[in-house]
Amino acid sequence: MSTIHMDGLTKRYGDVLANDSVTFDVGSGEIFGYLGPNGAGKTTTIRLLLGLIKPTSGTAAVLGADIRDRRALTERKAAVGYLPDSLGFEERLTGRQVLDYFARMRGDERRDELLELFHPPLEKPVETYSHGNKRMLGIVQAFMHDPQLAILDEPTSGLDPLKQDRLHQFLEAERDAGKTIFLSSHVLSEVQRVCDRVGIIREGKLAALEDIDALLERSGKRVWIHLTDPVDEERFVTPEMIDLEVVDSAAQFTYTGEYNALVDHLGAFDIANIEITDPQLDEIFKHYYGEDGSAATNHEEPVQTEAE
Amino acid sequence: MTAILRAESRQLVRSSLVLTGLLALLLAFVLAVFPGFAEEAALVEEAFPPVLLGLLGIEEIHTIEGFVGGYVFSIVWILFAGIYFAYVSAGMIVDDIRTRRMDLTLSSPVSRESVVLQKVAALWVPLVALHVGLFAVVAVGIRVIGESLDPVALAMAHLFLVPYLLVCAGIGIVLSVVLERVESAQAAALGLVFVLWLVDGLSHMDPDFEWVGAATPSRYVDPGAILVHGEYAFGDAGLLLVAFLALIVIALVVFVRRDI
Repeated sequence: MSTIHMDGLTKRYGDVLANDSVTFDVGSGEIFGYLGPNGAGKTTTIRLLLGLIKPTSGTAAVLGADIRDRRALTERKAAVGYLPDSLGFEERLTGRQVLDYFARMRGDERRDELLELFHPPLEKPVETYSHGNKRMLGIVQAFMHDPQLAILDEPTSGLDPLKQDRLHQFLEAERDAGKTIFLSSHVLSEVQRVCDRVGIIREGKLAALEDIDALLERSGKRVWIHLTDPVDEERFVTPEMIDLEVVDSAAQFTYTGEYNALVDHLGAFDIANIEITDPQLDEIFKHYYGEDGSAATNHEEPVQTEAE
Repeated sequence: MTAILRAESRQLVRSSLVLTGLLALLLAFVLAVFPGFAEEAALVEEAFPPVLLGLLGIEEIHTIEGFVGGYVFSIVWILFAGIYFAYVSAGMIVDDIRTRRMDLTLSSPVSRESVVLQKVAALWVPLVALHVGLFAVVAVGIRVIGESLDPVALAMAHLFLVPYLLVCAGIGIVLSVVLERVESAQAAALGLVFVLWLVDGLSHMDPDFEWVGAATPSRYVDPGAILVHGEYAFGDAGLLLVAFLALIVIALVVFVRRDI
């Protein structure tokens, strides 16, 4: 049984579809990355899963509990840990008092263990905390009751690189212990580093859902090529080339078509130097999004016009 | 599952003690001026036709019972304490939603009903602080100025205020789940309790409009009647409790259905 099952999950705010029929499963014992820029609808999905907001249509099941069944969902929350994107703590309380408060509601059998990894200043009031300290307090409260499923919204935001590594290691250890992690992020290297599978969300819609490796493969190859003569764009460019940059006799692009066709095509040119590599996740990301949402069409349109 | 009740109670301690202290000072001052006022008050009562005095709710104001029941309780409790209960309750839910504290609270295995009920239950703190504190001030103050008042009647007058204060809290909590901003909810709660108190007072002045006052909670609490006449209006108190429960049910229904 999947830990999270989403079925046509839709949330509408007036004219805006914050989540548009989002459908996918998160399996037990995986780290699932939910990737998308700010405003894509990641937090909406997460808040729907926790029953904080109600779906306009569609539904989801979290640990077997339908999110529309409040009673069942409330009960299952004992096995869920949640790290929100913006952390609301009672500011006047000290870190320790905040943890005591959550411990009374959910338990804290792993509190000490977590505080060895992440150590916010527990004796100080939360209002004096830096962003990173708040995030550490958030991580401790999310995991201290040893949840079966952790839902983390931008977990590393505000953490220094060392703590980020520590969190990634911790998440991998949790996954290996059979826990399920659902994390949202707009940090691509983070997702590439820890996630087993990725869902990419764009303007409320799921744009892609793949294993990290398959995503890298399907997203083509990054090609850097240096010809002996200046690049004749009319002849050289094909529709499969995206993110194309041409400077004199050098060209750089992501090739999204068949590799054989690429090699055949390049055979017609006199090549001085060539490098074919896996794309970085941010390039894949651009492939789904464009530089800022509109850039993708700008890149692709002239290419297609020339091909016609 | 009492984590929210405990946390909320602890938060109310400070404001409850501050308010109790301020009102105690006010009460002490009012009692201190009573001996001088009592002589004047007797003249006032003689000069005014008894019908008008009755309509204004002034009754036996030259006696300590009439003074405490009609003046002290009316202003200090029904107005000030009523406003405090409405104001504090009005912040309870909406503030947690705005600061996103509610997200973390509701990510725990706790129902929305339980959240609201625990928060309302935390009002035991100001309820106890105010009643104990102000009862003591009045009981001691009266002795100091050389008057006497039946402590049982005084205690009963306090007891009958509880349903009224709960209704004020109910008004606040409904506004707290309905409105989107802390400031609006608190301002609305404060304003509403004040206006209801005013309408009740004004409606007494003209028999044609007295029915309007029937919709105000302060109509159903009369410390003066308890202190001066020893009349306990159990029916009115019951009505207030029913109104309080109705307001809580409304708040629960709204909060359970809404997005946060």
